[in-house]
Amino acid sequence: MADHLLEVQDLHTVFPTKDGVVKAVDGVSFHLDPGETLGIVGESGSGKSVTVLSVMRLLQRPGRIASGRILYKGRDLAKASDPEMQEIRGEEIAMIFQDPMTSMNPVFKTGWQVGEPLRLHKNFDAKKALKEAVGFLHKVGIPEADKRADQYPHEFSGGMRQRAMIAMGLSTGPNVLIADEPTTALDVTIQAQILDLLRKVNHDFGTATILITHNLGVVAGMCERVMVMYAGKVAEQGPTEDVFANPKHPYTWSLLRSIPRLDAQEHEPLRAIEGLPPDLINPPTGCPFHPRCPFRIDRCIREMPPLEPVGPTQLATCWVTQAGRDLNEAAS
Amino acid sequence: MLARYVVRRVVASIPVVFGVTLITFGLLHATSGAFVPGLELNPNLRPEDIIRIRNNLGLNDPLPVQYWHWISGLLHGDFGRSLVDGSPVLRHISDRLPNTIELTITAILLGILISIPLGVVGALRRGSVIDNFFTFLSVAGVSIPSFWLALLLILLFSVSFHAWGLPWLPSGGAESAFGGGDPIDRITHLILPATCLAFVYIAIWSRFTRSSMLEVLSQDYVRTARAKGMSERRVTYLHALRNSLVPLVTLIGLELPGLVSGGAIIEIVFSWPGVGRLALERALQYDYTMVLGLTTFVALLVVVGNLLADVIYALLDPRIRYA
Ligand SMILES: Nc1ncnc2c1ncn2[C@@H]1O[C@H](COP(=O)(O)OP(=O)(O)OP(=O)(O)O)[C@@H](O)[C@H]1O
Ligand SMILES: [Mg+2]
Repeated sequence: MADHLLEVQDLHTVFPTKDGVVKAVDGVSFHLDPGETLGIVGESGSGKSVTVLSVMRLLQRPGRIASGRILYKGRDLAKASDPEMQEIRGEEIAMIFQDPMTSMNPVFKTGWQVGEPLRLHKNFDAKKALKEAVGFLHKVGIPEADKRADQYPHEFSGGMRQRAMIAMGLSTGPNVLIADEPTTALDVTIQAQILDLLRKVNHDFGTATILITHNLGVVAGMCERVMVMYAGKVAEQGPTEDVFANPKHPYTWSLLRSIPRLDAQEHEPLRAIEGLPPDLINPPTGCPFHPRCPFRIDRCIREMPPLEPVGPTQLATCWVTQAGRDLNEAAS
Repeated sequence: MLARYVVRRVVASIPVVFGVTLITFGLLHATSGAFVPGLELNPNLRPEDIIRIRNNLGLNDPLPVQYWHWISGLLHGDFGRSLVDGSPVLRHISDRLPNTIELTITAILLGILISIPLGVVGALRRGSVIDNFFTFLSVAGVSIPSFWLALLLILLFSVSFHAWGLPWLPSGGAESAFGGGDPIDRITHLILPATCLAFVYIAIWSRFTRSSMLEVLSQDYVRTARAKGMSERRVTYLHALRNSLVPLVTLIGLELPGLVSGGAIIEIVFSWPGVGRLALERALQYDYTMVLGLTTFVALLVVVGNLLADVIYALLDPRIRYA
């Protein structure tokens, strides 16, 4: 068990609000091994960001971890003190965010901000940190890095800022890099460059990466394993190839069918997933996906299935597949 | 670049100052003051003398001519002479200005030093008892009339303390009439009026700092700062505070004209020999050149205050270009 670099066990994260308790993450378990890339997908509001923010213990008020364990190198981060977390953040686990335009402080120079983790964690003095920062800016493909380091974030383009954010994350040599939709705010060509850079980082530095994305193509191209989330719960997880070829949860199955394909028949309609995402304050009984599920059986309405192995490599929360049915066959 | 910006802004504000002088001039002439108060009551003057004096002062010229005389003097740095005592307006201002500056700068500094920590603490502990208490204080600060607060303070610290045999604070003036004027003496005179004036600043600025801080704390870059692993203290005071102070600077810069106006009531209650009290005294005496001069002077201060705020703003926030 303790062999995994990061292991999240039955994590529950809630946001008590005026309208009720939002169960944003409701029993999520996954693990990450050194050097691997894990993709997290799921529709908007399914709890992807809250999951990783829980790992970083950066939840916004009033969010809090209600139960569960977050084992990093065997230590439970869910119970770590603030100073302990400050040691871990930026040094062991780095995180980059969706919108590079707003993720950097507008009033400090870029080089200064990129070098900040080094000053904090490695006790570098200002000059040495800046020198190192310039080096990292160069490594992430920023031309004239020494000049750029002396500029403010607003003088950077979005893609350049995201590169700078990656440089900032990498400078301390963290074991885990969490990227929450790092390319959503960028245009397509820049997206490809940033993803290439992340792949290179993963390869060159051996940094284990958690990549949150809406783009299944990106997952297919970059992630060894994938976790699909739905309504704060894990729908399924497993090696990307297996999950894509043979989904073990109807939500994954529907998700894969809803992607437009170039080889589709002409006039074949896009198959959107019908229905609405569930209310996280009063989730439906049983499996949260059952109101939208084409494979639903009676049991799904009453009982939430546990996360259990289905097939040799995958884990899924589905009574139908756990009973041995194959979704592709059942649908045809 | 900065110099050019300043020059451009100064040039752009010339029409504003002109406008203010025109309006003030017009308003003063629309009132029914005799401009040379008491002249008619002097039994030694014959009616011809009065006409001659008014002619000599230019008060019988057509209004545009009067305005022209006054404004061309102003362009040479001549604010004219008081109609009450005949001495230069500028000398009155420069006599009183140091007192006003002393009072207002002290109040502004007190305001900054107290309001920013209050605002920060309020933002960090929003909703807590202490935050609610600060909110109460600041609502009190803006709603209590300052003359009333001033009287209460005088009653307590000057009158009652004196009566109780405690060390008491002087209730008025900038220094003791006899043997006063040393720093300690001036400071004891300064305490009450400065506190009174600062109270309002603290009330407004602490609210402002609080909301500005709250907004900044929810920004993505603050989350980034936390994600780097820095302490909450560093996040707050290094990454968040600087950003949240940017708008506050403008607010404080706008207080510069308050050097004269904002403190007027306080100056009057505490008999503080400053510019605000001068303006009130002279307005009551129909000293029209004096009022005109003081208004123009305040208009200039507004312009300078705005400019200063903009320059500091740009220094704090690199995204602002002098455009
Ligand atoms: N500060 C908050 N207060 C209340 N509820 C919150 C808060 N932050 C998140 N939530 C709830 O948590 C749920 C999960 O949000 P989360 O941001 O993790 O979704 P996501 O999967 O990252 O979506 P997206 O793809 O849009 O980024 C949302 O439904 C939201 O209602
Ligand atoms: Mg998200």
